[in-house]
Amino acid sequence: MKALQLKAYGEINESLIFNEIPKPNMGPNDVMIEVKAAAINPIDKSIILGNLQSLLPIPLPCTLAYDVSGTVVEKGNDVGNFEIGDLVHSRVPQEQMGTLAEYVAVTNSAVSKKPGNVSFEEAASIPLAGLTAMQSLEYAQLKENDRILIHAGSGGVGSLAIQYAKSKGAFVYTTTSTANVEWVKALGADRVIDYKTEDYKTIANDVDIVFDTLGKAYTTESFEVVKPGGKVVSIVGPLDEESAQMFGMTDYKLSDEIATLSREKNAAYKFIFMHPNGAHLEIIKALIEDEKMKPIIDKVYPFEEAIEAFKHLASGRAKGKIVIKIN
Amino acid sequence: MATSALSLEELIKKIKGQIDLSPDAEEYLYLISKERLFHKGSVLLREGQPVKKVYFVTDGCLRSYCIDKTGKEHTLQFAIKNWWISDYIAIHNKETATLSVECLKDSTVIEFNAAKLNEMLALFPEYEPFQRFILERHVVSLHKRILNQLQLTAAERYDLFIEQYPNIEQSTRNYHIASYLGITQESLSRIRVEKAKK
Repeated sequence: MKALQLKAYGEINESLIFNEIPKPNMGPNDVMIEVKAAAINPIDKSIILGNLQSLLPIPLPCTLAYDVSGTVVEKGNDVGNFEIGDLVHSRVPQEQMGTLAEYVAVTNSAVSKKPGNVSFEEAASIPLAGLTAMQSLEYAQLKENDRILIHAGSGGVGSLAIQYAKSKGAFVYTTTSTANVEWVKALGADRVIDYKTEDYKTIANDVDIVFDTLGKAYTTESFEVVKPGGKVVSIVGPLDEESAQMFGMTDYKLSDEIATLSREKNAAYKFIFMHPNGAHLEIIKALIEDEKMKPIIDKVYPFEEAIEAFKHLASGRAKGKIVIKIN
Repeated sequence: MATSALSLEELIKKIKGQIDLSPDAEEYLYLISKERLFHKGSVLLREGQPVKKVYFVTDGCLRSYCIDKTGKEHTLQFAIKNWWISDYIAIHNKETATLSVECLKDSTVIEFNAAKLNEMLALFPEYEPFQRFILERHVVSLHKRILNQLQLTAAERYDLFIEQYPNIEQSTRNYHIASYLGITQESLSRIRVEKAKK
């Protein structure tokens, strides 16, 4: 089968190649998905550049990407929750990475039926970003009337996080640039802050939760705007000690700066690393079918132009998700 | 199920109300059918599979739908109590299913072997008028649906739909109804808001 593979870490132009490879092997708990569409995410870019080698050691060459939608064409002996012909989507587990291919084998617990009211392209755009948004806000125990600041409302994760937070009845502040203000508002955000003309720190004050999707200074600044006793959840900031242990880093210590800020503000800090989960995807499926959430797609590329898609991803300018149509 | 015989009996009583059914024909109907309970979310028929059954709904709610090239679903029919549902296109053309049939809530149905039900017409010609009655009712319903689609506004179609399927909104998702009416979910929401204002 045809697959887009990473042959060596490095620049996008030089490190990706289309290869003819065997269909993946299937375990008793796996379903084989004939891929209709795959979506790419910032983590894929980090993998290509080699920035995650220590955290996620991956033997090369490897097929790229985690997000998939398609049709179940085979199932393992122990699979009871899917049938041949089911239309599904998934954020595949790390060890099954490689959705930029004609087929991918996925453990059934990471798979969900796709929402019936969206296309394969839209369905592929949902899992990683949707699970990240949902699991982050659920970890923070977001509830009705909470005030939350979600950074980068026009991003793949931010755009879904806004909608998930609204479905919970929260009051949502979000940041974006001038060009995106209107459509981000249409997602339901209560106060869209144009970071080019406004200082978000003077507008979103004493919020219950900050969802940091930007990192660096934004992580530390989160403690300026979160209320005492509030929570900062980040998907790009430094690892917290518990998360570091998960990656086998037993002697890791949270930076003094974050630890001090967290202690002084009495605000918890947590790094969230999304985990694949079909049951969580089912909850998102229901929200999408009820139009409480809708996927936002920046652009769909044909498979043969997948390398172009990665360059677009690397530009950081995408509004919503970048999807690759496979079949 | 304790009530299984009852519902099948009721259906046969209905049939007998319209035609003279011989004891042999009645027995044949029992032989080729089975009452079954399906839970919400069960898929009775899946696109691409051979179509071996037709279903008479004794309670609950089912729908048949197709999936377009992009992966989106379009609802062809809802079936509530006393409706028949299957993929008649596939049965008639002797093809695999182009539709899927799923339960929108826990439902009881009488499941008939489609081929045997068809053979019944040759074995027991007295059954034919009943079959024709079902077919005519089905054609009328389809013609009405096409005409409504051509000449009524979305709001009018929605009103008719609610009249035809009372309480169905408790078992369906908005996109099931929107895709049945051929409108977007946003339009459906707008129609409901307008209706609520009246």
